[in-house]
Amino acid sequence: MQELVKKAKELIESKEVDLLIGYQSDGEKGAKPLFVKNTQQAEKLIFNQYCLNNLVTYLKRPDVKALKKVAVVAKGCDIRSFVMLLSENQVSRDAIFIIGMTCDHVVSPDGTGENEKCTTCKVHNPHLADVVLGAPVPEKIAKDKPVHYAQLEKLNAMSQEERWAFWQEELSRCIRCYACRQACPLCYCERCIVDFNTPQWIDTRSNPRGNFAWNIVRALHLAGRCINCGECERVCPANIPLMLLNQSLQEEAQEKFAWEAGYDPESQPPLTTFRKEDDEDFIR
Amino acid sequence: MARIGVFVCWCGSNIAETVEVSKVAEVSKSIPGVVYSVDYKYMCSDPGQELVKNAIKEYKLTGVVVASCSPRMHEKTFRKAALEAGLNPYMLEMANIREQCSWVHNNMDEGTQKSIDLVRMMVEKVKRNKPLDDISIPVTKKAMVIGGGVTGIQAALDIASGGIPVVLVEKESSIGGKMSALDETFPTLDCSQCILTPKMVEVAQHPLVQIISYAEIEKLEGFVGNFKATIRKKARYVDVDACTGCGTCWQKCPVKVDSEFEQGLGKRKAIFIPFPQAIPSRPRIDAENCLKLTKDRCGICEKVCPTKAIHYDDKDEFMEVEVGAIVVATGYKIMPVSAFPEYGGGQYPDVVTSLQFERMVCASGPTLGDLKRPSDGKLPETVVFVKCVGSRDPEHYHSYCSKICCMYVAKQTMLYRHKVHHGNCYVFYIDVRSNGKNYEEFVRRAQEQEGAQYIRGRVSSIYKDGDDMVVEGADTLTNSQIKVKCDLVVLATAMEAPDGIKQLAQKLGIGYDQHGFLTEAHPKLRPVETATAGIFLAGCALSPRDIPDSVSEGSAAAAKVLGLLSKDTLDKEGVVAIVNELTCVGCQNCIRVCPYNAIELKDICNRQGELQRQVAHVNPGLCTGCGTCTPSCPSRSIELQGFRDTELYAEINALAEL
Ligand SMILES: Cc1cc2nc3c(=O)[nH]c(=O)nc-3n(C[C@H](O)[C@H](O)[C@H](O)COP(=O)(O)OP(=O)(O)OC[C@H]3O[C@@H](n4cnc5c(N)ncnc54)[C@H](O)[C@@H]3O)c2cc1C
Ligand code: SF4
Ligand code: SF4
Ligand code: SF4
Ligand code: SF4
Ligand code: SF4
Repeated sequence: MQELVKKAKELIESKEVDLLIGYQSDGEKGAKPLFVKNTQQAEKLIFNQYCLNNLVTYLKRPDVKALKKVAVVAKGCDIRSFVMLLSENQVSRDAIFIIGMTCDHVVSPDGTGENEKCTTCKVHNPHLADVVLGAPVPEKIAKDKPVHYAQLEKLNAMSQEERWAFWQEELSRCIRCYACRQACPLCYCERCIVDFNTPQWIDTRSNPRGNFAWNIVRALHLAGRCINCGECERVCPANIPLMLLNQSLQEEAQEKFAWEAGYDPESQPPLTTFRKEDDEDFIR
Repeated sequence: MARIGVFVCWCGSNIAETVEVSKVAEVSKSIPGVVYSVDYKYMCSDPGQELVKNAIKEYKLTGVVVASCSPRMHEKTFRKAALEAGLNPYMLEMANIREQCSWVHNNMDEGTQKSIDLVRMMVEKVKRNKPLDDISIPVTKKAMVIGGGVTGIQAALDIASGGIPVVLVEKESSIGGKMSALDETFPTLDCSQCILTPKMVEVAQHPLVQIISYAEIEKLEGFVGNFKATIRKKARYVDVDACTGCGTCWQKCPVKVDSEFEQGLGKRKAIFIPFPQAIPSRPRIDAENCLKLTKDRCGICEKVCPTKAIHYDDKDEFMEVEVGAIVVATGYKIMPVSAFPEYGGGQYPDVVTSLQFERMVCASGPTLGDLKRPSDGKLPETVVFVKCVGSRDPEHYHSYCSKICCMYVAKQTMLYRHKVHHGNCYVFYIDVRSNGKNYEEFVRRAQEQEGAQYIRGRVSSIYKDGDDMVVEGADTLTNSQIKVKCDLVVLATAMEAPDGIKQLAQKLGIGYDQHGFLTEAHPKLRPVETATAGIFLAGCALSPRDIPDSVSEGSAAAAKVLGLLSKDTLDKEGVVAIVNELTCVGCQNCIRVCPYNAIELKDICNRQGELQRQVAHVNPGLCTGCGTCTPSCPSRSIELQGFRDTELYAEINALAEL
């Protein structure tokens, strides 16, 4: 971690950045976010396979946006969300210094074994960064399908009624805390649709109608944008398998548009692309 | 307090047969806010409209629901009536109880109930409607015509005669199009150039027409009345203002290449004008063949030019023009012989296209009208014409009929016989289509008086036998295989959309069909309009046509342009999108999906002028009210006026609460 601490001190000392966002130990095995403003704080920086948080999500906050320049410690998968923020006009490239960390894998949210998302990772070595730290990781042949949850396949195999019952059961636990939204790097709306009350499209009560509406709208708003970081599911206090929703939409985006979010800042998400030469063969 | 009036129409028996209209009117009275309701036989009739107007005044209505036909039919009618009675027209809504109800149901009870539901929905909506103002946009009184064939020339002349300035943009270095290459024209056999060149001169001399030749459209922005076109003036290497067209340069240029104008049958120089009557009569350098530009040798033209008009360092230039309307008259091209392997695929010089034949018999052609076959210069004693080559053949080539080949082949047989009185000429045909004024008589003259021998059938192959060409085919009238030995074969190849037309259509935002021909807004009722307001079509750009049709359409498109540009402003509906700048996060979703490029990012700065954030901003002049943007916004920060969330939600709720 010497390199990381050294680089952080350098950035802070030279006043190149006003704030550095990284990881510190949570006192046990795990890691939690650290906000570095002076060199002393920089000493606490760590990076290891317990660094699960996607710190890019802090870049959407107005108080962070107001700073001139911010550095953020990010894994390749986190950088995919930065790429999305770039292409959606939410950050200015010049205002962010990315410390890319090479990463073989992180642990799964319960702290045991390799995280599922790492088995399909194509960016063990960050694809966009101002500096890359850590020893290069040999790129593995990632599974080509983003969907690896055996459960998704099981879900797809279910009848419509069974699936409905499954989700009714799962979503009934939602307490409408919106932690999923707050943790998501791409849920950056100034006013989320669920807070829109003229009219109130989405029932805010924690009842089946409201919970379905909320979770489906959230998933659809991330369709073709979600970069599979898994933060929403990790933070959900009700243990709702939100990644099942996200990943089934990722699968659609890949099948229908050959699209994977967060690799190329120049390309545009398929659902908000309008091309005159589009065949429009879905309009009959 | 809302005071709503409901007006239920019978539409004669159209609605009244399936909907109990008096009951609909009666039940409407119980909807909260409704203070008046009535049914009437024809609400759109004058007395019907009076009924609406009087009620608005008498009952001091704040909103009106007319339950009748589709808003596409009579929304304008009733909104105008509302305005005349002093009510903002956008406070009137229509419940469609005809197309969406009586015409699709046949049970009186169901029809009546559904009508009541539809009325209830619209009452709830209109209660929440906000008065809107129409938007008035200024109009640029100038037009652009793209394509300088006979169609474009006619359109430009007619627009200019109406007092509107025109920019005529032509891809080649001269205007004139295909007609300038034709010999004599059916059905009157007048010389093509003799009737075209006066028009070319007239358009060139017209004070209101600006011809921009050797140029193409690079980009088009804006909307009806307010287009901004960027035109690429391709590098010509000749200063057209300094050049006097004296011709010294092209006489002295040592390079000879096949002339496109002569269809490859004659030669031109590397600096050239395509034909003597070219307008503008200014040459251009063909950069691919010029020795100076390819090998940095020669440079003769620069030396001999008396006015120093040659510039080897010339570059493409861009100019912007603002126009209110556009006519697209980009014409056609014909398929080359090389496209037909069964007919030699271009390996036999004596198999030519019909356009090549025009040049071979033309007095101004490469042989000055002396008919000689390309291979050895021999006078062709026997000529075979093959029609429908590449046309009417959906399996191999085009499904459509090129429409005019029947006529020009008849013409060409005559032109041939006028040159070679003793010559034989055969025409292979599938049908003879001659349905124009004096056309049938013309074809009969070719057959009966001028000795053209028509053989009904398709040609299967063409090959060479010694000095002769052999055409093999079936005679479907006698059901026999025949072989004709001849000196020359003329293929009436299909007319196709010209190169680059799809790209042009995409730049202009207009449609084209599977063949690349541009599509009209309605084939019968709006034949020279496109679906994009302010852009019109004419001539062979739409599909194959002859000169009379092309010219008529040029005039028709010009009439449309003059009609549009006769007003100082265009009024458009106030139904446009508006952004909530407090909640917009500038994600650009709406910007990317707007088909009309009506949305831009706008900077929000603090008092010190420092950029705080960016939000979307809709240009109301460009917005067509299509509504594509609204669902793309995750945070519902962009709303279409007249279709705001509160209005639509109330409509849906009115239905859901039953
Ligand atoms: C062999 C033959 C014989 C014929 N004989 C007769 C006859 O006897 N009588 C008769 O009535 N009709 C005849 N015709 C038909 C006649 O040629 C057409 O009806 C007529 O030329 C159509 O005119 P136009 O202006 O629509 O198209 P064109 O003549 O093709 O003109 C289109 C113009 O647009 C320009 N252009 C194309 N693309 C662009 C672009 N992207 N940007 C700018 N400019 C562009 C082209 O360079 C061209 O100058 C004959 C056709 C053929 C093939
Ligand atoms: S984090 Fe979980 S419980 Fe909270 S709103 Fe999201 S899905 Fe519901
Ligand atoms: S939806 Fe969940 S997995 Fe997808 S980007 Fe947001 S937080 Fe990450
Ligand atoms: S759920 Fe949708 S509206 Fe809400 S913050 Fe996320 S993207 Fe925005
Ligand atoms: S309503 Fe249509 S034209 Fe208007 S801004 Fe929205 S998408 Fe563009
Ligand atoms: S889609 Fe909505 S949030 Fe995004 S730029 Fe448009 S109005 Fe703003």
